[in-house]
Amino acid sequence: MSNLLQEIEAQISGVKTAVTRQNVGIVREIGDGVAKIEGLTDAMLNEMLDFGNGVIGLALNLEETEVGAIILGDYTGVREGQEVRTTGKLLQVPVGKGLLGRVVNSLGQPVDGKGPIKSDVNYPVEKIAPGIIKRKSVSQPLQTGIMAVDAMIPIGRGQRELIIGDRSTGKTTIGVDTIINQARINKAAEAAGEKDFRPIYSIYVAVGQKQSNVARVISVLEEAGAMPYTIIVTATASDSATNQYLAPFAGASMGEWFMDNGMDALIIFDDLSKHAVAYRQVSLILKRPSGREAYPGDVFYLHSRLLERCARVSERYGNGSLTGLPIIETQAGDVSAYIPTNVISITDGQIYLETDLFYQGIRPAISVGLSVSRVGSAAQIKAMKQVAGRIKGDLAQFRELAAFAQFGSDLDAKTQAQLERGKRIVEVFKQPQYNPLPVEVQAAILWTVQNGFMDDVPVDKIKDFQAKLTDYLSSRKADLMGKISKEKALSDALVAELKATVTEFKQTYK
Amino acid sequence: MKISKQERREAKQLFRSCVNNGLLDENRVRQAVQAVITQKPRGFMGILSQLQRLVKLDLERRTAKVESATTLSPQEQAAVQSSLVAKYGPGLNLTFAQNPALLGGLRIQVGSDVYDGSVRERLDNLREAF
Repeated sequence: MSNLLQEIEAQISGVKTAVTRQNVGIVREIGDGVAKIEGLTDAMLNEMLDFGNGVIGLALNLEETEVGAIILGDYTGVREGQEVRTTGKLLQVPVGKGLLGRVVNSLGQPVDGKGPIKSDVNYPVEKIAPGIIKRKSVSQPLQTGIMAVDAMIPIGRGQRELIIGDRSTGKTTIGVDTIINQARINKAAEAAGEKDFRPIYSIYVAVGQKQSNVARVISVLEEAGAMPYTIIVTATASDSATNQYLAPFAGASMGEWFMDNGMDALIIFDDLSKHAVAYRQVSLILKRPSGREAYPGDVFYLHSRLLERCARVSERYGNGSLTGLPIIETQAGDVSAYIPTNVISITDGQIYLETDLFYQGIRPAISVGLSVSRVGSAAQIKAMKQVAGRIKGDLAQFRELAAFAQFGSDLDAKTQAQLERGKRIVEVFKQPQYNPLPVEVQAAILWTVQNGFMDDVPVDKIKDFQAKLTDYLSSRKADLMGKISKEKALSDALVAELKATVTEFKQTYK
Repeated sequence: MKISKQERREAKQLFRSCVNNGLLDENRVRQAVQAVITQKPRGFMGILSQLQRLVKLDLERRTAKVESATTLSPQEQAAVQSSLVAKYGPGLNLTFAQNPALLGGLRIQVGSDVYDGSVRERLDNLREAF
């Protein structure tokens, strides 16, 4: 009965149209998606402003007599002298599982024509990153499925690993491969009905990309069946700079929802160089003072507050994580430019891709010397540590020897052997795109090469040998692979079995 | 016309010197403008136009525009005035205007605050709600 009374009361109070105070301003200047508004004495920083006709803005500059606001959406309808109102709300985007499989813009509105988004939770776009108390160090692996990355530059859940390189060196491919591998692992675990399996959901944020590139990524993900686990946030080159500036923050909010609800998520920012350029445009039109390379003074804070939101939270706070893979495009391999150095210093390591390696046919073109993962080794599974522990050092030694060996041909047997082993390791790490490998197969293959089973295979036959061995392992010896992935380590018994298997395979290999 | 930072700063100083007990002294403003025009300091046009803008904003801040669909009786005007003065303090200039487009009710604007209790506004809100 009391419920009924409350309901009626609520309805009556809804009908009563009390006169409320509103704060208004007048558009004084408008151009390039930025408006200067006179009045609006109550406006708050980052508050949403209502321009009428469904156009909203964001108050970014609060000055003595006016407010500088960026307009989200179509700004061609906004006129000088138009009335603007404050809303008292921060910019929010829908979050949740209803977004999986969808393509949305930086305001969370669908752009894929599949109907409205089913979501009843909204998160503010700008959110403070989890604090020190809530955090936990990275300890669980995130398998990219790329052997060179998983073996030498391991990534853990909650880590931020920068992918950096020149144009067309395969930066996006590493991100897309990682998404595909997560979907593959999720599907396999769902099929096996594993109880304590923690799926990883992926978010791909395209900032300032060509529409054709985004469409290609979507079709690749659809083909690989990865879309049901993926959200795509787009602010393409034709969207306004304001939307490009907001897109990574919107994506991070969607990822944070998974983290806050005890799930694991992966977010790829493709790419932050274009994001910085979009922010520079917005800042310059707002007449903020410019600094180095005309970027505003807070461009470091822009990226640090974004990437700080990628975190691993402790069990008490849900045990979720958000792994960040920002992408930076360098100009002519210059990693000492402004934005690359900023993002390198913020992240927990970087994967550096080189044009030279790419054209030598070493793909993924990962430069082993310049790539590093500062926290990921704690997250690597034991089997991988056992086989890959020394591989980075071996490769570095090989590079040095190879440079030295160019001058003379008379080499002692040990050096010769090292060179031959190095060539085979390089060959083994080559991997076609969109073809991630399970970690147990990676471990078995690395074990094979580390223990000299490939030394008598000619270098140009290594790829063929590896492919056939992979086939053999995953079809005929699936139970052995299953054991490795379950034990997560190469025990003496497993090593003996692996040895027998590889010896058996070598007898049949021609 | 671009107003330099220096001119802005000087206009601001001039404006501050014209404020007496938190209220703008009109006579002082007139004197200040006269003085600037006769002395013609560097960038005086910029200073004057910025000062004009500051005075305009200050006046707007202390002006209450009361719009109603029909003309208000003197008692109603007095009631509106007393409640506005109670809220915004003394020094408020009230202007009363008739606006038949409101259909009914009052619309009061003080600076950038708007209290809209007109029928027009309610109809607009209703249309947006649908």
